Parts: sequence; structure tokens; C-alpha cells
Amino acid sequence: MSAPGVEEITIPDTVEELLGGEDARPDVPWIVIVWNDPINTFAYVIFVFQKLFGYSRAKASRLTNQVHFEGKAVVASGTREKCEADVARLHAHGLWATMQKDD
Amino acid sequence: MARRTFARARDGSLQVTLFEQEAELLVMTARDMATLVEEPPDGAVRDRLYPRAYLDPTEESAQQEYDAVVHDDLVTARKRAFEAIADRLEAAQPNRRGMIELVLGTDEESQWLTGLNDARLVIGTALGVTEDGDTDYPRDDPRFEYGVLYGWLTALHFELVSVFLDEIGEAGTDDPAPF
Repeated sequence: MSAPGVEEITIPDTVEELLGGEDARPDVPWIVIVWNDPINTFAYVIFVFQKLFGYSRAKASRLTNQVHFEGKAVVASGTREKCEADVARLHAHGLWATMQKDD
Repeated sequence: MARRTFARARDGSLQVTLFEQEAELLVMTARDMATLVEEPPDGAVRDRLYPRAYLDPTEESAQQEYDAVVHDDLVTARKRAFEAIADRLEAAQPNRRGMIELVLGTDEESQWLTGLNDARLVIGTALGVTEDGDTDYPRDDPRFEYGVLYGWLTALHFELVSVFLDEIGEAGTDDPAPF
């Protein structure tokens, strides 16, 4: 599927970032969250994390456990555009993913 | 006897082997799903197939842009996957042992992987499956038949995922999460 081509202007989150000061936040203002659901299997979710993000089996397994036992996990971060593309790929694989600002 | 439904052939292609009755059941399911993913009933099934990207209600315009860019492609990809599964199975003739055998192309492998799971999402959500995944309903329960179908699809999908997990291996990035 095609990645979202949404053109967005990045608005600085903080005054420091706006001014380019030393306290500027790193350029990862958005995070992608995968939520637990009772249908997707552990094995499938681990595979999807490895396939989409290039994670090792160990990291993909840790994230999948976190999704299952804590209800959700942050699986990726970056610009709004990157996160929208990641969410779209996760949705295409049937995972319950959302994105939000990393407050 | 352990019969494998999915196996990687020496030439790298993925081989599918189903009993004729299994193939017929999968065709029926895929045809139903091809229609359903296009216009799912409002409610849990629709929300599960097409979840929001943004939970924050103040991001409604971003959500609408996301839907405008993503939604139709996702519907089309799902519909095509189910049609591809059904078309290939319907075109195949059973061999002398009454088995349907297919060799899948690379695109088809992805379509089977996501298609089988999408069918599980629809049926599992409609059944109200919970964490234990138990769909062994009593015979007089109206959910009985779909419960059996769900269990069978889950077993099929698990076997397919196992093939892919073996192949993708253990390696990959393992950097500390930046959060």
C-alpha cells in the first residue's frame, strides 16, 4: 500500500525548540503505540514487528510481551509523516495501532 | 499424522496443500470477507478492521486526512487479497489423493498472511473472542459454526506465521528504545 503523502508543517513543540536553544527536544515528537487485542497471536505480532521495523526477535518479543501484559507498547517514533506511514503499515497487517505526540 | 498445510519448496516458493473440503470452506470464507471488508457493518468489526490513527479528538482534521490517504487503499488491498485467495483455490483441481495444491507467488504469500488474519479479526470480533481465545462453543450455541471456523483459521494462520518466523530469523536491530 502507498505511504501517506500528507504534507505537514512541523510546528515546534516548545519555545526552546522554536528558538533552537540548547534545551530543544530531540526530533522525535511523535510515537506509534500498538494496543493489546485478544485476536492477534504472539507469533504474528512478533513477526510483524520484525518485518516492518527490522527488529531482532528479542526486541520484537519484548515489545509483544509489553503489548500483551501492559496493554500497549511504543513501537516506533519520529516525525508525524513517518508515524502515519508506520501506523498505516500496522493497520494493513491488522494490528491496532495509534499515534500521538510524545508529551 | 502431521500434515503440513504450508511448506517452503526447494525453489523458494510457498506450497499450500489443503483437503478439497478445506479449500471449499476457505473459498466461501474469502468470498464473504471480500464483500464484508468493503462495507463492514458499523460497530466493533468496522472499528477493528479500520481503527483510528489518532485517538486525540483534537486531531480530527489529521484523522480525516489520514483516512483520505489510507482508507481506500487498505479496503482495496484487503478485497484483492481475499479475491486472490478464492480465485486461486477455485481454479485448482484436486489431485488423485483429493488434495488441492497451490504454489504461491511472493505477493500471494503476503495476501494469505494478512487475509487469513483479517478473516480472524472479523470473525473473532463478531464472536466476541476474549484473551483465552476459546471458541469451543456448545453445539446448540448459535456461535458454534463460526467458533469452529475461527479455530481452524487460527491454526492455519499460526502454521503460516511459523514458516515466516523461521525465515526471518533472530537477527535485527536491538537498539535501546529511545523512549
